[in-house]
Parts: sequence; structure tokens; C-alpha cells
Amino acid sequence: MRSQIYAWNSQSTAGGTTAWSNANTGNSVSIFIGGFGNNITKPAETTATQFVVIEDVAVSPTAFNTSSTSIGYYRGLDGGSATNGVYGNRAYIQVRINTTDYFLDPDNVGNDGIPGAASPYPRSTSFQPCFNLYPDVYVLPGQVFDALVTTYQNGAFASAATLEGNQLSAFMKYTLYDGPDALIANKLLEMGISINPGNVDWYKRTLIQSQSAPAMA
Amino acid sequence: MSMRSQVYEWSNLAPSGQTSSLRRTVDAVPVDVPTNREYDVFIGGIGNNITKPAETTATQFIVIEDIACSAYLGGALQVRINTTDYFQNPDVTDQAGVPGLASPYPRGSSDTAGVDALTDYVQLLKSFDLYPDVYVLPGQVFQILYSLQTGNTSGIATTVVAAFVKYTLYDGPDALIANKLLELGVTINPNNVDWYKRTLIEQQQRSRVAATATNGGSA
Repeated sequence: MRSQIYAWNSQSTAGGTTAWSNANTGNSVSIFIGGFGNNITKPAETTATQFVVIEDVAVSPTAFNTSSTSIGYYRGLDGGSATNGVYGNRAYIQVRINTTDYFLDPDNVGNDGIPGAASPYPRSTSFQPCFNLYPDVYVLPGQVFDALVTTYQNGAFASAATLEGNQLSAFMKYTLYDGPDALIANKLLEMGISINPGNVDWYKRTLIQSQSAPAMA
Repeated sequence: MSMRSQVYEWSNLAPSGQTSSLRRTVDAVPVDVPTNREYDVFIGGIGNNITKPAETTATQFIVIEDIACSAYLGGALQVRINTTDYFQNPDVTDQAGVPGLASPYPRGSSDTAGVDALTDYVQLLKSFDLYPDVYVLPGQVFQILYSLQTGNTSGIATTVVAAFVKYTLYDGPDALIANKLLELGVTINPNNVDWYKRTLIEQQQRSRVAATATNGGSA
């Protein structure tokens, strides 16, 4: 069982990717293989002996104010080119398992995901979370998972190659269960029990207790 | 995925020349929200909306765990289940609901709009926690109603207002368990649903062991 994180910065060009630009506004872009910011070499997926539990997702925050003001920056966030009273990228992050979006509107239509205003990254006194991903999201063995960032505000990100500051970025925290722990995670899933380190330990204790119990006459 | 954490964010942002849209659009502009009227954040006709009223099917159970809205302009959020408002005055008369000042969205935002960062030192924290949670039983319609007391439009400037709802959707077998917990008077949350499942499994295991013992050790 290993706690893991993945942090994405839209302006990173490490690995030959491209820095984020206005052309991406309004599009969903993968933080793993989207071609913008720091990426990984292949889609995020679990092997047959792995089980992933996504415990938190977060994206750059948004602040709301009044339109048509002369305020260029508000609480460290750029107002962008629209001067519509929205500061920051107005970013959202959606989790996708294989081809299914996790977050839906109440009419069962997939939405943009968690707003950065609800789950900000990074957190600060000005931008605090009012969302926690509970129950967690399970990625079963052999499944592909992705986190998609969508923004709706033009010009609110850093200029290319500028990595400092409170710019468009995203964060994912997950726990990777591998080998025997992945088997236990599958067993807990069959039993309809939440998969977390505490319950995996509980199952192990149960197994040990049943093995050490005296045989029935 | 029969228990899923869900969120809904509403704001009064719409494409220029419109008052609402079904999907969010790039560089949307804030629209006027008339004062002292309640607007359903799902289908109220202002800002981003969805295609139909929010409701649960026969196999769904929703637990609303948090609501929050912009703290300025006297904004407040009310929860309505079918036709019943959740928050009432002590004399059982209507009220606007939870003020944004008590449950601000975003957390850490200011209590005043239209001020710049140099003169704005307020970073609000929540003083309200929606506990116990609000249950939406199978087949019920629910609304989240936003209202404000002070106009958000002054001259050419319009203030952006927003609201946020966090809920957990229980579907299929987990919705049945949620109903069972409701009957038992136990709070419905993922932990208690898990507890009920474990109880069922332990009962089954005990029954199997008892049956094995009755059969002289053979299953």
C-alpha cells in the first residue's frame, strides 16, 4: 500500500510537451497525456495486480468579484482578458475511468467535474477547500484512469515557461495497492466494503484470527 | 461505484446576450439576479443550468452534505424537498436559508464585492455545518434556491455570484441500504452503509458456520 501523488503544471514543457495557451480554453485536457504541461509516457492504468484508490483531486482556484472593474489581479489571480469579474482560470477537474466520467449533474449528464473554487490547489487562507472526495474513486485492475482539466477563462494563466506563482495546475492524491494488498482490495470490493488502508488491515487481521482459531472438533 | 461523491457549482455566468446556458461557456459574463427572489440553481433560468429538475429515481438516494454561496450582497441558499423548505424561522415562517456569510463559497472569499486586493482583508471561514445532512428519498424532487438581498448590478458593473452543493449519490443496493438505515434511525453516510454491509456479511458467516456444525462438520 503506497500513498502516491501526481502534480501537473500547465506551463511545464518537461519531456517535450507544449505550454498551455488560450487555444485550450473550453477543452478538456488530460493532465497525464494531454500534451500540455508535464506529462507521463503512457495513459495512467492499473496492471492486473494493482488497485488504485483516488482520494483527492484539486485544481487551480477561482475567485469571483465584480465585472468592469480596473482590478487586474485579485488575491493573486489574473482576471484574464474578459474583465467579467472572474479571476483565475475558472478551472474544473473531472475523473474518468475507462470512458466513464465520475462526476455527473443531477440530470445524469457528465459535468466538468470539481471546481477549483471548491477544491483549490494549492490551498491558502484565501482559497480553502469545501469538498473532499469521499467516498473515494476506485480504479480496478486493468482499468485506465484519467484526470481532465477544463478552463473557461481566457488569458488567466502564466506566460509560457513561467512555472512560479499561482497559475494553472492540478493535483491528484491516490493510494496504490499492489500484489496481495490488491487482492484484498478486490475482496473488499466484492464484499461491498470501502477500500482504505484501515479496512485492508482489518481484513488481514480477520484472516489471521481465522487461521489461528482452534479447529472445530 | 454505487456510492459517489458529487458536486454542483452554479454561477450567474452566461454567454453574452443570454441569461442562462446548459453548459459552461468560455469568458461568460455575469447576468443580473433580481433581488429577494429565489432561483433554483438547477433550472432557475439564470447562469448554468441542467436539463431537468433535480430528482432521485426509485433506485437512488441522495444525501446533501454541504451547501455554500457567495458571501456578499446578502446571498443565501435554501433547500427545498418537493414543496417543503428545509430551513425555517423559529415561528415556522419562511426564511432565505443559510447565508453566504455563514457558509461562504469559495471558502476564504471576501464579504464584499467590487473591492481590490489592497483594501480587502477579509477571508471568511464557515460558521455553518450542514449536520445532520439533508436526505432526498427515492422519487423526491429537490431544489437548491439562491436569493440575494442587494442587487448585483450597478451601472455597467455586474457582480458574479456563485453557489455550491456537495452531495453523495447512493445508487442500487446502496440506496436500499440507505433506506434500511433510515428505517433503523441510523445516520446515512458511507461509513454506516459499510457498517451495515459488514453486519450482513458477519451474519451470513455465522449462519454458515452454524449450518456446518449442524451437519456434523460437512458443508
